[in-house]
Amino acid sequence: MCPLLLLRLGGCCSRLLLLRPPPPGLWSGRGGGGGGVRWRRGLFSGSPSAASHWSKVVSEAEKIVGYPTSFMSLRCLLSDELSNIAMQVRKLVGTKHPLLNTARGLVYDSRNNLQMRGLVVLLISKAAGPGNTAELSFQHDMVSGIYSSQRSLAEITELIHTAFLVHRGIVNIGELKSCDGLLKDMQFGNKIAVLSGDFLLANACTSLAQLQNTKVVELISSAIGDLVQGIYYDNSNLSEQNCLTHDIGISTWKEQIFLSHSALLAKSCQAAMELAKHDAEIQDMAFQYGKNMSMSHKLHSDLQPFIKGKSSDSVAFSLNSAPVVLHQEFLGREAWIKQIREAQNKGNLMDFTKLQEAIKAGKGVTSAIDLCHYHGNRALEALECFPSSEARSALENMVYAVTRFS
Amino acid sequence: MALWWWRRCCCCFSRAPAFGSLRSLLEAAGPRLGCGPCAGRAAGRAEMHYFLGRSSVLSFPKIRSIFLRFHHTTTSRTCSCSKTVTDEKYKDPFKLGRKDLKNLYEDIKKEFLVSTAELREMCEYYFDGKGKAFRPMIVVLMARACNIHHNNSGEVQASQRSVAIIAEMIHTASLVHDDVIDDANSRRGKMTVNQIWGERKAVLAGDFILSAASVALARIGNTTIISVLSQVIEDLVRGEFLQLGSKENENERFTHYLEKTFKKTASLIANSCKAVSILGCPDPKVHEIAYQYGKNVGIAFQLIDDVLDFTSCADQLGKPAAADLKLGLATGPVLFACQQFPEMNAMIMRRFSLPGDVERARQYVLQSDGVQQTTYLAQRYCHEAMKEISKLRPSPERDALIQLTETVLTRDK
Repeated sequence: MCPLLLLRLGGCCSRLLLLRPPPPGLWSGRGGGGGGVRWRRGLFSGSPSAASHWSKVVSEAEKIVGYPTSFMSLRCLLSDELSNIAMQVRKLVGTKHPLLNTARGLVYDSRNNLQMRGLVVLLISKAAGPGNTAELSFQHDMVSGIYSSQRSLAEITELIHTAFLVHRGIVNIGELKSCDGLLKDMQFGNKIAVLSGDFLLANACTSLAQLQNTKVVELISSAIGDLVQGIYYDNSNLSEQNCLTHDIGISTWKEQIFLSHSALLAKSCQAAMELAKHDAEIQDMAFQYGKNMSMSHKLHSDLQPFIKGKSSDSVAFSLNSAPVVLHQEFLGREAWIKQIREAQNKGNLMDFTKLQEAIKAGKGVTSAIDLCHYHGNRALEALECFPSSEARSALENMVYAVTRFS
Repeated sequence: MALWWWRRCCCCFSRAPAFGSLRSLLEAAGPRLGCGPCAGRAAGRAEMHYFLGRSSVLSFPKIRSIFLRFHHTTTSRTCSCSKTVTDEKYKDPFKLGRKDLKNLYEDIKKEFLVSTAELREMCEYYFDGKGKAFRPMIVVLMARACNIHHNNSGEVQASQRSVAIIAEMIHTASLVHDDVIDDANSRRGKMTVNQIWGERKAVLAGDFILSAASVALARIGNTTIISVLSQVIEDLVRGEFLQLGSKENENERFTHYLEKTFKKTASLIANSCKAVSILGCPDPKVHEIAYQYGKNVGIAFQLIDDVLDFTSCADQLGKPAAADLKLGLATGPVLFACQQFPEMNAMIMRRFSLPGDVERARQYVLQSDGVQQTTYLAQRYCHEAMKEISKLRPSPERDALIQLTETVLTRDK
């Protein structure tokens, strides 16, 4: 069966699993709730691995938002176009087009496929509660404390995110080595990737229009623009793979990561508040949560290759990840260039293990951990404006999960 | 609404007996074309034209003259209720619209708030002032025609002008993506974005233009307008999907082709016309007129585009000739030619993929009356557009829109 069809089934299954009772003691077992500083101490304690902890937090949180929701709407899943895409993607099996991996990732990659963005939008909607509106019809629209417009928004957020996962994987035909069969496959893969990404985006646009709120349309549209710019930076940094990256510095890094990783979630959270007619202050707090939580999330995943005990299995890391950028900043450009040269073997191949050791020895890693905690704290502060609730705790737990390093 | 019609047409169509595709096509087009009291008459004429047209290739000019006569009677019928129209009648539509389109491209460029110079350059690449600006032109003319119809207002509202800008942006975003999908090398006489910057960046640029268009759309501050123009984006994608597949059945193939044409080209024009009419006039009848005008002109525009792919040379088009065949697409002229030369069926089904197919198909088309038949079909759509727009109160802009239907048919690039 082709990946995108699996995606349909996969989506259902993972949600059916949610109906199981929660593992006992999960809430009590979290890495220190309440205090904003306490959990820092537990950084390297021997509790379950960060990834599995994150999955637990997320699957617990999914229960809070009510009936199992697959973020790909039924209308979208049942459309001719999607089955068409699925059919076409199948033709790509056996080729090296990145679209295949993206599709596979959507199905199998449990760490990134938790549809985290949509879930956060739903949780924050629930945490904020009913808005300042007297319209009764509006109130009736709520299921599990979330308006249907907010559920749509969560879905739109996921559609956009997925569309760009697909559009990220376009191949530059001109850069391919001349091998006829391969070229044809790649052209075909590109065609399907452009089309399927556009299809998801178009669905997002029409759903967005149905929300009947011009401010929300503007926010989300601008988030799409941010995302494009962010991916654009990501790509231009990536193009110099295995060699010297731009000397960007951590503040530029933060700006770029905001665009590529945080803007969509931040603006979606804000838009969810706007849909419930919450005031500007609440909207800003929701934005801050979305922004800082996703920054922490990104820093957390950037840090994984540099965390104790993990060096053996995961060596691959990006020269554009936060610890490396910070390391370079501490070291100075010239010393960094020297380190890179030292790590380069004959034939310009990078010895990543060697480089990794050098980075671990520097201050970049701890400084990235601090930055991760800083954003985590900012996210937690933003949540203080919401009354305490199950949903708010779930949002807090997500922050704890992405600021734990064990 | 429009989609409903299409579905209905498709239904009629699939049930229609398979004798002569053009005839069933016209029958299928019947309900769409005939929405006034003269529907039956129009359909009758259409059939007559069809049979005249079939008798020989040479009789085509005759049909055209009949058509034109019909065309003029309709105009004069509407003219009878106006006084000023005759003088303005042949006003150059492009001249009249130009004053509202001054700085169009500068204003579009202002929508791109980008920090990277290269991304900005890519986004601005096609807004170099060398395009025809065909869509913004129709949109501003329609805006003025509707405003005058409603309250004799001679101004174009800022929001209406925004719609013109957004229409051009959506169009351009779709061009950028289409060129990646088709792996095209040249457009409007220059290299395509993907050719210069690579596919990966080109797709992002297209996405960025689309997001900028959506932001501009949201800033108009009208949820109805947002819905109307979002429909376009969906149609564009669905049209592209229709283009991926091909139908075995000849009749289905034609409906499929027309549906694709509507979604890929006409929907944008129809819905942006509708949008400016909503902004200019509260009467739903006017919105329908604007929509129908845009839809019919849009389909005619694309039909002629498909004809030009066979009759024009690459220099005129700014892109390679017979491009559609090379992409494996069977457009109007091919589908008509296939009626005369059934041996083309196999080529259509394999999407002209064997060596020599493209040239052979081209020769068949040029030997057949496919080009004339397609042109004739475009005329019928233009006629319908004219009939619709003539329902508006007379104004120079309305007449320019009437004139524009003629321009669509006679353009050579």
